[in-house]
Amino acid sequence: MIQDYSLGLLVAFAAMGVAFFAMMRETDGLHRLLLTDLIEVVSLAFIALIGTDLAEALILPGLVVGTSELIALSEIYRIKEGYTRPPDAGLQIEVMESAPGILAALLVVYGIVLSGFSGGVVAGLGVLFYFLCRGHNERFELIETASGYSWALWIIAFFIFMILPQYWFFAVMLSGSAILVKVMAKMSLIGTMRGGPNA
Amino acid sequence: MPDIGGDPLFVLEFGDILHYYTPYTITLFLLALIFTGLAIASRPERQIDIAFGGDAYYAKETTISEMRFRRFMAIACGLATMGAMGSGDIFNFTLFVSLVGIANIGIVAAVKSRHVLNAAYEYGIVAMVATLPLFGGAALVAATTGTLAISVLAGGGFAVPLVAKAFLALGVIGEGMAPFYAAKAEMFRAPGAPYVIMCSLSSLLIFLRVVEIVITI
Repeated sequence: MIQDYSLGLLVAFAAMGVAFFAMMRETDGLHRLLLTDLIEVVSLAFIALIGTDLAEALILPGLVVGTSELIALSEIYRIKEGYTRPPDAGLQIEVMESAPGILAALLVVYGIVLSGFSGGVVAGLGVLFYFLCRGHNERFELIETASGYSWALWIIAFFIFMILPQYWFFAVMLSGSAILVKVMAKMSLIGTMRGGPNA
Repeated sequence: MPDIGGDPLFVLEFGDILHYYTPYTITLFLLALIFTGLAIASRPERQIDIAFGGDAYYAKETTISEMRFRRFMAIACGLATMGAMGSGDIFNFTLFVSLVGIANIGIVAAVKSRHVLNAAYEYGIVAMVATLPLFGGAALVAATTGTLAISVLAGGGFAVPLVAKAFLALGVIGEGMAPFYAAKAEMFRAPGAPYVIMCSLSSLLIFLRVVEIVITI
């Protein structure tokens, strides 16, 4: 067990050396941003080497922090270099005109039946597909606000679990529906990446 | 327990995860609280550039939306700093520290000026790279001792490797803006004074706290 851990640690340190060496040699801004992602992966490997349930619980926040820093830096890079892309018409295929309505409705209904994280992903996939094919004119501040409020409800449900455990059923329902809305809203934003008036 | 912070004044337990305040950390916490209050209450500085060779000068205006964003980021930075001061769990501490790093990037990058954005980008790369020693240090502590609670580690009997301590300190140095960027005039002369001061203060406070943690565990 200890032997395995030492071996893994050795590999992680070697990967860290490679990543930092690459970082030192690289001078182009965009490539350095990509290399930082390599370093993030090594830090996740360090956490994963713990190899217990705790590691699973620690990887998630580590991953979230890394991803959010990557998104913030790419946005800074985009503004710094002045890159903008006008929205284009996208693919004009007949299937993309007729299918989205039916498929999105099916996926959203099934997602609501599932509820929770997995339901949010399924319903979000439906909405994503719809936005991707049909375009969008929604006000995304509203979607973001709904997502924020549902996240707060999810946290409230956890407090109910801790403080008033006898109302667990209410808390389960609250957290299940709140996380459904939150995941769906966040995922649907991916469908708007083609650009548009409010994106 | 070589407690440089004094006896705990207050302990809040959530199972394994706990928050506590010693006279040392409560001082740092109050400092962060006061500065967050100042960042909320104060209005952004209005810079004046004097044109050489004449009587003309330019007054730089900070737009309302930019001011609101930077104020929000300064408050987030203050809250993260306060969390880092009170946390009794090493991994929570590292998460709060990386949140301070993200908020600092936001405070600086809100200024839409090319040279400020360049400086913010370079700082952001360093902050991102620093998450490796930061999380790596916490993971090494957890893997070698089996616990992350500072109070348990302070009880003695654990051999925390020196590498883990060095990683923690290195990560905090990278996340905070102060040590590497104290002389970066592009960042600190960006318009909007009270928010930029929050960056320096938060990095100073997290550094003082990590010194306490490294000595205690």
